[in-house]
Amino acid sequence: MKPNREMKRLFVGGLGQGISEADLQNQFSRFGEVSDIEIITRKDDQGNSQKAFAYVNIKITEADLKKCMSILNKTKWKGGTLQIQLAKESFLHRLAQEREEAKAKKEKSTTGNTSLLEKIGGVDFHMKAVPGTEVPGHKNWVVSKFGRVLPVLHLKSQHKNKIMKYDPSKYCHNLKKIAENLTENIPITDLTWELEGGNDPMSKKRRGEFSDFYFPPQKMKKVQKSRGPMESKGSDSSLRINEVMESNKSTQPVTAHKKAPSSGMPSQSLLVSTSSTPTPDHVIFHTSDFEIIWNKSSMSDDDIDSEDELKMMIAKEENLQKTRHSLVNESENDPFEVVKDDFKSDIHKLHSSAKLGNDCEYDSSDTDEIIAMKKNIVKVKNSTESSQPEQPISKKSSFKKIEPSNDCVKVQKTKSNKESALGHGVKCLNPKFPPDSNVSDCEEESEEDEEYKALMKNCPRVNLTLADLEQLAGSHQKVPGKDDESDDSQNINQCIFDTNSKTPRTSYDLHNGRQCICPEDIVASLLEEEDTYSKQKPEETTLKPKFQAFKGIGSLYAKESVDKTLKETVAFNNISEHQSSLKHEDHNRIFIENGSKCANGSSSKLTSCQPAKKVNSPNHIQPPKRQFTVESQSHEVVSSTSFDKESKNPPSCLLPLKGKKSLNLGTKSHKIDCDRDTCHLPESRKASEKEGTDTSNITSFEKPRKVCLREDNQKSTASFSLSVSNASCVSAKDKHAEDNQKRLAALAVWQKAREVQKKLVHSALANLDGHQENKKTHIVFASDNESESEETPTHEQNNCPGKEVVKESVVKASGKLFDSSDDEESDSKEDSTRFNIKPQFEGRAGQKLMNLQSHFGSDERFRMDSRFLESDSEEEEKELNENKTNEDELAAEKKKTLNVVQSVLNINLNNPTSKGSVTAKKFKDIVHYDPTKHDHAIYERKQDDNEKESKARRKKKREEAEKLPEVSQDTYYNIATDLKDIFQNKDTNEKEEDLPWNEGCSGEETGDVSDAANLTSGAEQTSGFTFSFFDSDTKDIKEDTYRIEPVKRGKIVCQEDPRFQDSSSEEEEEEEEKEEEEEDVTKETDHRKPSPGEAFPEKETTRFFFFTENDDRLRGSNLFWCGVGSSISRSSWEARTSSLLLDCRKKHKEAKRKVKAN
Amino acid sequence: MRPLTEEETRVMFEKIAKYIGENLQLLVDRPDGTYCFRLHNDRVYYVSEMILKLAANISGDKLVSLGTCFGKFTKTHKFRLHVTALDYLAPYAKYKVWIKPGAEQSFLYGNHVLKSGLGRITENTSQYQGVVVYSMADVPLGFGVAAKSTQDCRKVDPMAIVVFHQADIGEYVRHEETLT
Repeated sequence: MKPNREMKRLFVGGLGQGISEADLQNQFSRFGEVSDIEIITRKDDQGNSQKAFAYVNIKITEADLKKCMSILNKTKWKGGTLQIQLAKESFLHRLAQEREEAKAKKEKSTTGNTSLLEKIGGVDFHMKAVPGTEVPGHKNWVVSKFGRVLPVLHLKSQHKNKIMKYDPSKYCHNLKKIAENLTENIPITDLTWELEGGNDPMSKKRRGEFSDFYFPPQKMKKVQKSRGPMESKGSDSSLRINEVMESNKSTQPVTAHKKAPSSGMPSQSLLVSTSSTPTPDHVIFHTSDFEIIWNKSSMSDDDIDSEDELKMMIAKEENLQKTRHSLVNESENDPFEVVKDDFKSDIHKLHSSAKLGNDCEYDSSDTDEIIAMKKNIVKVKNSTESSQPEQPISKKSSFKKIEPSNDCVKVQKTKSNKESALGHGVKCLNPKFPPDSNVSDCEEESEEDEEYKALMKNCPRVNLTLADLEQLAGSHQKVPGKDDESDDSQNINQCIFDTNSKTPRTSYDLHNGRQCICPEDIVASLLEEEDTYSKQKPEETTLKPKFQAFKGIGSLYAKESVDKTLKETVAFNNISEHQSSLKHEDHNRIFIENGSKCANGSSSKLTSCQPAKKVNSPNHIQPPKRQFTVESQSHEVVSSTSFDKESKNPPSCLLPLKGKKSLNLGTKSHKIDCDRDTCHLPESRKASEKEGTDTSNITSFEKPRKVCLREDNQKSTASFSLSVSNASCVSAKDKHAEDNQKRLAALAVWQKAREVQKKLVHSALANLDGHQENKKTHIVFASDNESESEETPTHEQNNCPGKEVVKESVVKASGKLFDSSDDEESDSKEDSTRFNIKPQFEGRAGQKLMNLQSHFGSDERFRMDSRFLESDSEEEEKELNENKTNEDELAAEKKKTLNVVQSVLNINLNNPTSKGSVTAKKFKDIVHYDPTKHDHAIYERKQDDNEKESKARRKKKREEAEKLPEVSQDTYYNIATDLKDIFQNKDTNEKEEDLPWNEGCSGEETGDVSDAANLTSGAEQTSGFTFSFFDSDTKDIKEDTYRIEPVKRGKIVCQEDPRFQDSSSEEEEEEEEKEEEEEDVTKETDHRKPSPGEAFPEKETTRFFFFTENDDRLRGSNLFWCGVGSSISRSSWEARTSSLLLDCRKKHKEAKRKVKAN
Repeated sequence: MRPLTEEETRVMFEKIAKYIGENLQLLVDRPDGTYCFRLHNDRVYYVSEMILKLAANISGDKLVSLGTCFGKFTKTHKFRLHVTALDYLAPYAKYKVWIKPGAEQSFLYGNHVLKSGLGRITENTSQYQGVVVYSMADVPLGFGVAAKSTQDCRKVDPMAIVVFHQADIGEYVRHEETLT
C-alpha cells in the first residue's frame, strides 16, 4: 500500500506462556504485513519456561511502527508485559539482502562504473595509461598496472633514517588481477564437507551424530517388553503416543530390566530414539524419594532434546533410517553397561522404589522374585498370586516405618517370608510341630507371620510409638552376644534354628528389638494372652482356627514351675482338643521340652529384650515368647466379655489376675503402644487408665485392677527372683531386676497416690453433698489462708503432691462455687439495698467521704469516717468561688482569644455567637414536644388564629376597599391640584398625625420596593378606579395623573428619604407583628384603613406604559362587557380580583419573610 | 506560665490559621471542655482547663511542659510551630499533601518534598499555603509550606520542590531533647 513500507524485525519480549504465533500474527497484522514469526522460549533446568519472546518480521511503515510501539509496548497481554523493540534483521535475511545487493552492485558496476563514481563525486582511479605515468594534476599519484592509480609512498627505511620512495608503478608487475565473482553463491552445504566413514561410533561422532547417547538400552528393553514387536513397526504418530505411554510407565521398569535379557530390536530403536527415551535411564538412578523429581527433570530434558531431535528426524528420516537402526543397535550395548553399574549401586534403593511403584503386580512380583533369589529362602514357595495382594500392604507398613533402606530390605525379607507363610496357610503349621530342624524353620515362618500380622495391625495405628519402642528395646538389650546375630540375615538365624530350637526365638526377639519390630512381639504377646483366655473359654474356641500358630508357653513353664505349666497346658489341651487336638498337644510337648532345655536363657532374654513382656510375664507368669497370628479385632470383644467371667470365678490365683490383665489388654489391643509404655512409666499408666475408663468394663473394675496390678508387680518380682535364681546370665538379670524393682516402686507410689486421690475425691464429693451442714468448712475454704492450711494436711496425706494439686484445686473450686452460691442466697436481701445510697454518703459531704473511702480500699483500719471529712462549708464555698472565678477568667480569656481569632480570620463578630445560637436552636429542636406540658405551648404554632385574624382582616380590607371610592375622589382632586398643594398637604398630614406616614410608605413601596406592594395598593386603586371609570372624564384624569406622577415621586424621595426607610422598616415590622401579635395586627389594620384612601392618588400615579397585573387600564374590559350584563360580570370580576388580591398579598408576605430569614 | 498577650495570640493564630483556617475556632471554642493557650519558657502550650489547674501547683521554674506544645516564640517574637502541634493541625487541615511511600523517609529526615514524591495534593492550594503532609495511608507526617501552587505542581519537573519542610514527626527522634 504505502511506498515506504519496510521490512522490520521486531523483538517482542515478555510474552505470556500460552501465546502462539497466530496470536502474535493477529496482534501485529493490524500494523503491517507480518511475514514471519519466531517464538523463542527459554527454560530452566526443571523445564519451567522462564521467559518467552518472539521475533516478528513485519512490513511496516515508520508511522505504523511508532503507533505499534506506543500502543503495544509495555502493555499487558495474555499474562505478560509486552516489550517491543526493533531487532536486528535476522542474519539469514541480512545475508540474502547482502547477496542481492552484491548482485545489484555487480550489475551496476558492469553497466556503468564511471557514472557511479562520478555520481559519488570521486575520482576515477582507473586510467587508461601506460603504467608509471603520473596522474595529471595529482602529485605523487601514478598509474600502475591495469590502469589503477596508486600513490607514491615515501617510506622510512627500517634501520636507516633515509626515506625511501616507493613507486608502485615500478613494482606493478607483481600485481595480479583477480576476477571478482562475489555474486557467485556457494551453498552452505558446499562449504562443509562430508566425512566418509563406516558405522563405527567414531565415525558417527565425527559426523556429529551423538543421538545414540539419548537412547538407553534399558528403554529399548522396556519397550520390547511392554510392547510386542508388532507395535514397534507402527507409524510415527502411533509410536509417539506409545512413547508417551511409556514415559508414564517409566517408573515400573526398574526391576524388570534387571532380569530382562537385552535384546535389540531394530524397528523399535527408531521409536526409542525419537521418543522421550531418557526417562528409563533416570529410572535406573532413581531412589525412591527422588523418583518423581527425576521424572520431571527427565521429562524436561526430553522436551528439549526430543524437539530438536524430532525436527532433524522428521527431516531426514527417510534418508537416515538405516543408519539410525544401526546406531540404535550399537547404542543398546553401550549404555547398558553404564546402567549396570548404576543398577548395582542401587540395589537397596530398588526396594523402596518398588514400594512406591504404582503397578503392584509388576513390582511386587519382581521384587518377590528378586528377594527370593537374593535371600535363598528355599522353603518359601510363593505362589505369586497370593503374594501380590499382600505385598502392597506390607509396603505400606514399611512405608510408615520410614526405615533406612537396609532395614527395609530386612523387613521385606521377613515380609516375603510371611507372605509365603500366609500363602501356604495351614500347611506351615503342620510342619512346625515335629521338633526337628524343620520345626525351627516353621517356627521362624510362623514368627514371621505373626510379625507380619502384627505389623499389619500396628502400623496403621502406631507410628510414633515404634520409635519409642525402638528406644526402649535398645535400652533393654542386654544380651551381648546376639546382637551380631540379629544384624545378620536370616540365613544365620536359620542356622541357629537348626542347632538350637530356642535360640532362634531369642535371636529373633533381639532382631526385632533391633529392627524396631518389638511392637509386633508385644502385640503378639497380648494376643497370646487373649488367646489363652479365650482358650479357657469354650466360646472362644470357635475363633481359634484363625490362630495359625500357638507356640509359646514352654519357656514360661520352665521358669515358673512345671506344675503350673502342666495345668495350663492341660487346660490348653482341653481347649485345643476342640479345635485341633493334635496341634496343641504337640505344641505343649514341644514347649515343655524346650522349656526344660533352655527355657531359662530364653526367658531371661525375653524379659531383658522387651519390657512389654515383663508386664505380661507377671500376669501370666509366662514369658510370652510364643506368638500367634491372631486377628485381634474379633477377639477383643470376646475377651472383654470373657474377662467378666474370669474375674468372677478365680479357680486359681492366676486366673483373676489374668482376667484383669486381659481386660487391659483387650481394651488396649488397639493401643498397644500405650500399654507398652504403661509398663514402665506411671504417667503412661495414667493414660492407659484413662483409656480404660472409656470402656465401661474397666471403669467397673478399676479398683480391683489396681490391686491386680499390685499383685502383678509382686508376682513379677517373684518371677524375677525366680529368674534370678535361674539366671544363666546373671548380670543382665540383675540389672533388669533393679530396673523392675524401681519401676515397681514407682508403681506402688503411684498406686498410693491414686488411692489418696480417690479418697480426696470421695471426701470432696461428700463435702459437696453435705455442704449445707458444714457451712463452716466452706467459709474456711473461702478465705485463702485457711484453705491453704487445709490443703497442706491433704498434701501430707498424699505422698505425691504433684498430682494432688490438681484435684485439690478442683475441690477448692467447687467449694468456692458453692460458697458463692451460699453467699448469694444470704446476700439476696442485701442486693435490694445494695444500690441505695447509704445515709452517710448522701449529700455533697457524703460524696466526698465516699471518694476518700474509695481511695483506701476496704480495710477497716484505714476507713475514712466523717472525722476525716473536711466539711467546712466556707472552704467549699471558697472553692466554689475560686472555681467560678477561674471559670470566669477562662471564659474571659476565651472571649479574648475568640476576638483575636475573629480578627485574624476576618470573620465578623457575630458569627461565632450566631453559630452558638444556631447550635442552641438545634438543641432546642431536639426537645421532644409534649402537648401535655404547659411549657411546650411555646412550640405550638397558632396558625389557626392567624388565619382567622387574617380572614377578619381581609373582610375589613374588603370593606375598606369598598368604602374607598368616595375618599379616592377627594384625593384625586387633591392630586390634580397644584404640586405645591400636595406638598403642603403632605406636610400637614405628617405633622398632624402619625397615620399619614403610612401613605407615604405605601406610596414609596409602590414606587420602588416591590410589585407586590403595588398590587395591594393597586387593588385599592382599581377599586377606587372602577368608580371613577364611569365618569365621563376618565381619560383626562388619567392623563393628568400620568403627568403629575414623576414630579411627585421625585419630590417625595428627596423629601422623605429618612422617613421612607423608616416606613419600610416599619412595614416589615408591621408584617411581622401581624403574624405574631394579634393586637398589633388589628392596630395595623386600623392604620391601614385610612392609608389606602389617602394613598390612592399617589397610587394612581404609578402607571407604566406596559400593562401590569390588575392594571386599571384593563378595567376597560368592563366596558366591553357592560353592554351585555355589565353588572353581573363586574360583580364576579370584583369578587375574583379581591381573591386574587388576597393571594398576592399572601405571596408577597411570604416572600418578604423569606427574604428576611435569609 | 502566663496567658498570651493579645499580640502574641494574634501572631500565633495567624500562623496556625495558615494551616487550618477557620477551623482555628474549633481549637479555641471547644465543645468538650475549656482549652486555653499558655506561654511558658517562650513556648505556647495548648492546655485543657483541668491540666492547667494541676500545673498551677508546680512552680514555674520546675515546670517543664504542660499540655501540648504548639510552638515557640522566637526572640524576634515570631511564632514557630512545632511538630507537636501536628496532632491538632492534622484533623483540621484545609490543605493537604500526600507523599508517596518512597518519599516518606526523605521527608521524615527533614527534606523538602519533591514533585517526584508528591502523591496527591489538595486542589486550589495556593503558593506558600501552609499544608499538612500525609503519607498515602493518611498518616500525618508533618507540615510545611506549599512551594508551588497546585497548578504549578503539574508543570514543574519531578525534582522541583513542591512543599517546603517545616516540621515532621521524625523530629520526635531527631530533636528529642528540644521537643517538649
